[in-house]
Amino acid sequence: MEEVIKVDRLSKTYGNLLAVDDISLSVKRGTVFGLLGANGAGKSTTIECILGTKQADKGQVSILGYNPQKDRQKLFQKVGVQFQECDYQHEIKVSELCEETASLYKTPADCRDLCSQFGIGNKIKNSVKSLSGGERQRLFIVIALIPTPEIVFLDELTTGLDTKARRDVWKILSVLKANGLTILLTSHFMDEVEVLCDKICILKKGKAVFYGTVEYAKSVSGCNKFEDAYLILSGEEADGE
Amino acid sequence: MKSFLILLKNELKLNIRNMNMVIFAVIMPLIIMVILGLLNGTKPAADGVEYTFMEQSFGALCTVSICAGGLMGLPLVVSEYRERKILKRFKVTPVSPTKLLAVELTIYVIYCLVSIITLIPVAMIFWKVTIHGSWLAFLCSWLLTMISTLSIGMMVGGIAKNTKSASIIASILYFPMLIFSGTTLPFEVMPESMQKIVSVFPITQGIQLMKTTFLGLPADNIKLPVIAMGTVTILCTAISIKYFKWE
Repeated sequence: MEEVIKVDRLSKTYGNLLAVDDISLSVKRGTVFGLLGANGAGKSTTIECILGTKQADKGQVSILGYNPQKDRQKLFQKVGVQFQECDYQHEIKVSELCEETASLYKTPADCRDLCSQFGIGNKIKNSVKSLSGGERQRLFIVIALIPTPEIVFLDELTTGLDTKARRDVWKILSVLKANGLTILLTSHFMDEVEVLCDKICILKKGKAVFYGTVEYAKSVSGCNKFEDAYLILSGEEADGE
Repeated sequence: MKSFLILLKNELKLNIRNMNMVIFAVIMPLIIMVILGLLNGTKPAADGVEYTFMEQSFGALCTVSICAGGLMGLPLVVSEYRERKILKRFKVTPVSPTKLLAVELTIYVIYCLVSIITLIPVAMIFWKVTIHGSWLAFLCSWLLTMISTLSIGMMVGGIAKNTKSASIIASILYFPMLIFSGTTLPFEVMPESMQKIVSVFPITQGIQLMKTTFLGLPADNIKLPVIAMGTVTILCTAISIKYFKWE
């Protein structure tokens, strides 16, 4: 299968802090890749360096064969992004934000359909700031899917969602994946990672400490539950003691 | 083009909802005009001249909206979008910085247009203001003044570190230019030494040019303001596009 995201020896420092330390990864078309790690482990910085919103100090990135810094306008016709911290214009309505986003793409998806799929179809006339945290989170997943992307980046996609809403999001993403969508996500919910991800990379202080499948993580660590495996592999268990 | 129009429509709606520019760029110039009109009526600007005080001030009144948009509205909206990471969200879409800046610029052009369109009939009906020069020359000088001032605003918004520094720079530019360039306080009442100092403001040059073309005065010194404002426009536009920062 074709590798649609290729990251080779990526590094990024903030002052003295090595936020991303020599990370390499590759994601095949139609698969889901999970970037895991504690808060501050470097997940968001890695994503931003891959997308080119942050300039990496070292390393090569290629998405769909494009260089994200140089071919920005071509690449982002085909890539959707949901950032962890997203802001929106003051007073903007859901419909306006959707329409404005859709206007930027050649073949946008139908925003109303997407909103109702994600359970916010009745909020389309509301202002974005009047939405609850969970509704806003779902709106930003919708925004990431508006380009009808080949790849979507979702940073902490279900943070702030209730159990039912999380399950609904998983279902939709599974369908999209079956239709060939490639997903790179970060998450703190190991049940979610187990359901969705084909491959994972666990980060600790900017370094990749595990790279492989969920099953492999369980067997390497000798745990039956993936959450336990994650805690051992990420070293959080040991750090806590 | 379609995405430009949709962005323009939405951003304009958001801007109007915010009301600041409606007040400072459309209502304020009208209020200043009414005050000047009530004080001066239709009396001549000076002994022995054929034009009235209001006719002499008309060009300056048209720049109140230009000041508000170019030196307050535009730099603040661009820097606010950067600080609130709205530009960062745009960075991961196919939109170009030039298109985004053009959309914001167009919004303030629209405010300036609305302002001049409301000022003309009010001045004509209540204070019998008539043009002594040529409309074409007047509108060209208005356009040049507007574009050069807006380009300053675009540059400030483009390169300011954050909203706070943009707002400080904007205030440093806005208030002196609003008060001392002849926009609100007529240039003619200032002492000569002060006139010399305030002539460095590009907008002062614009107002003098608009006054000359509106009153049909002999245009012996037209080159300097045109060159000055043209240079400002080209320089500021180039800087704001070249040094545009998403974050």
